[in-house]
Amino acid sequence: MMLARVADSLYWMGRYVERAEHLCRLSDVMLTATLDRTEAASQVARIAMGSVGDWDESRAADPYEAAVGLVLDRDDPASVFTSLARARENARQVRDQITTETWERLNVLFLRMTSPDAAESFGDGSSVFLHDTIADLHMFKGAADATMAHGEGWRFLLIGVYLERAQLIARLLEVCFGDPKRRAVTDHFALTSLLRMACALEPYLRVYTADLQPRYILEFLLFDDDFPRSLRFCTAQMETHLRGVSRHFEEDAGQVSPERLAGRLRARLQYADMDELASTGAHALLTTVAGECAKIHEAIYNTFVAYPLEMRLPA
Amino acid sequence: MAQEAVAETGGRPLPAPGIYDEMVAADGSIRPHYARLQSRIDTLTHEDLAERQRTLERFFLLQGITFTVYGAESTTERIIPTDLLPRIIPASEWATIEAGLTQRLRALNMFLADIYSEQQILMDGVVPRELVLGAPSYRREMQNLYVPNKAYVNVCGSDLIRQPDGEFVVLEDNLRVPSGVSYMLANREAAKRTFPGTFRAMGVRPVDRYPDLLLATLKSMTADWRPNPQVVVMTPGVYNSAYFEHAYLARLMGAPLVEGRDLVVHDNHVYMRTTTGLRRVDVIYRRVDDDFIDPLTFRRDSGLGVAGLFNAYRAGNVVICNAPGTGVADDKAVYAYVPHIIRYYLGEEPILHNVETYLCREPAQLSHVLANLDKLVVKAVGESGGYGMLIGPHATQKQREEFAAKLKANPDNYIAQPTINLSTAPCIIGTELEPRHVDLRPFVLSGEKIVVTPGALTRVALTKGSLVVNSSQGGGSKDTWVLSDDKRSARL
Repeated sequence: MMLARVADSLYWMGRYVERAEHLCRLSDVMLTATLDRTEAASQVARIAMGSVGDWDESRAADPYEAAVGLVLDRDDPASVFTSLARARENARQVRDQITTETWERLNVLFLRMTSPDAAESFGDGSSVFLHDTIADLHMFKGAADATMAHGEGWRFLLIGVYLERAQLIARLLEVCFGDPKRRAVTDHFALTSLLRMACALEPYLRVYTADLQPRYILEFLLFDDDFPRSLRFCTAQMETHLRGVSRHFEEDAGQVSPERLAGRLRARLQYADMDELASTGAHALLTTVAGECAKIHEAIYNTFVAYPLEMRLPA
Repeated sequence: MAQEAVAETGGRPLPAPGIYDEMVAADGSIRPHYARLQSRIDTLTHEDLAERQRTLERFFLLQGITFTVYGAESTTERIIPTDLLPRIIPASEWATIEAGLTQRLRALNMFLADIYSEQQILMDGVVPRELVLGAPSYRREMQNLYVPNKAYVNVCGSDLIRQPDGEFVVLEDNLRVPSGVSYMLANREAAKRTFPGTFRAMGVRPVDRYPDLLLATLKSMTADWRPNPQVVVMTPGVYNSAYFEHAYLARLMGAPLVEGRDLVVHDNHVYMRTTTGLRRVDVIYRRVDDDFIDPLTFRRDSGLGVAGLFNAYRAGNVVICNAPGTGVADDKAVYAYVPHIIRYYLGEEPILHNVETYLCREPAQLSHVLANLDKLVVKAVGESGGYGMLIGPHATQKQREEFAAKLKANPDNYIAQPTINLSTAPCIIGTELEPRHVDLRPFVLSGEKIVVTPGALTRVALTKGSLVVNSSQGGGSKDTWVLSDDKRSARL
């Protein structure tokens, strides 16, 4: 049992933290890749920007400026800055529900991002800046895991993390493999960078060795059972945690509960077939993932946060 | 002769005449209860002290022990300026404070119970009827309402000051929603880290139990009909300047921190919206002012409160702590009558005295005030936070004349007090130790019984010579050590 507003805040805290981490990684990979002035490097920049919904060619042509915007822009609702500020704002709302250790990690990140030297230290070494930010975000998740009770609150945090992650990875895959009319990504350098953006290069190599094939990459990021950023893994986690929080809850008439939606999506990913995908293209499946994630989000709201009071009044 | 005096005090300047210094006596010697801390400080260089001060500030910032400052350009968070050096109160002096505060709160609770029921004290003419019933903080809605244990004021944070003669007196009673207790606890954490050895050796009384005692006090308010009551802390929200404190207390009590929008009233019961539906609430420790708790009963435009909350309270299905309407007993004019209130209900002489106060409503006292405007502080009764105030010695002749006209026009609205030099305590200013004026805010809990926490928030006026300790006006705070045994702490 916890306050509906608190569950909402923890859920969004998870989403924002995950978003910040992903954007840092995209920026870092893009900046490192575009140190070379090759066509493949420009393709990497277009993938990165495309996956955040920015198809403006001129933005991808100036990756440094684009990265500064992605990371530090205070007015952009989708920047790392805004994501961290909102994650912390949510954490402050529920300061009594999270441990001091967890709070401190997030506060450190926020203080670094808002410090007057932030722009300067990003300019001095964007790679170090982004690396440290990602490392601190990992510490935040570690602190949450190691110090918070693994009860409802922690589960809502993780539901936020995995839902956001599933959406981000789905969008990245959509940009690379979704549209059959666009030129498929086949270049070795671009494929390596793609794996880096999903933090998947080393785990991929351990499974498939250094044989970089779009088909394998797609298979790995969609269906791998153990890799924490594959869509199948994220969906399974969502389902587990949703089942964990809705123990005491009966389904309202005419409503599909979020854990059933998550279970349905997991089953879809469980039994999808790589051969089928190769013939029809990944687009249909990725669209399903994006659509189902949106439905799960809505169902979480209707079930836990913004439920109609009439149904819950004591008899 | 002069050289000798310097040698005796180790080069320390004597305290300014007419001011009581907490550490240095008038003859320049160190007071015995400060000796051990003083000898510890002597082993540290000024740079060491400044370094420790920076570590402390960093710690507060990381913990988010901050208040929010809203500016035109951007919103920033600042830490409350906190001074590293503790203020020390000997056991013998604390005994008087504790007994005095207990006596005072007992009487004030009885006073509130009386004026919200039979009004015997008004019938007997001890306190003027119109003064109480005409006060804006008097809540007609509270009349004849059952308050468990007759404990109207569950959390009290009275402000004490030390006069030049060394006596502690009460400057004002805070009976509505007093704040600052989280700083008492956070300052203690910091002081333990900074002077662990001295702390251990001195025998300082612990304050850490405050959250459990608060929870026990709140629970005791329903004990007779709800065996395991659900207690919540109610905050105006994350933008309130005391939000840190609300979250801090909720976390340490293990009680949910709710906002008005989390609560619903149905059939005169209060529920909170949880992930699994509605759940009954029994006790609300509210950190929201009376005016804002229920738009149906009090201010209609309040978005912070819960519609129907007061009716649920009136029906006896929920307890609001502190009770609404307690402000009438910390009103500036009623303050002057507190000694009479204590004698009336308890038949005892007040242990802690008031600051001498002139009521302008009394013609004889008004003429005295008008004749001595250049020496007095005049305050409007209904105002707080330094508004509607004249500080005689610092005002111009013209300001005094204008104020005199206001006084004559509406004498009921004003009281006057002599300007008092608060005592001083040493503080770290830059890399130097300098005396600054301080007050003392102890916290008293009352439910089934009254408990005085052996500690306090010492507020500091960080600007040299200033007497204003409010955090909104450049004030800071420091830890307050209450000793358990004066002999033990004096031993070196």
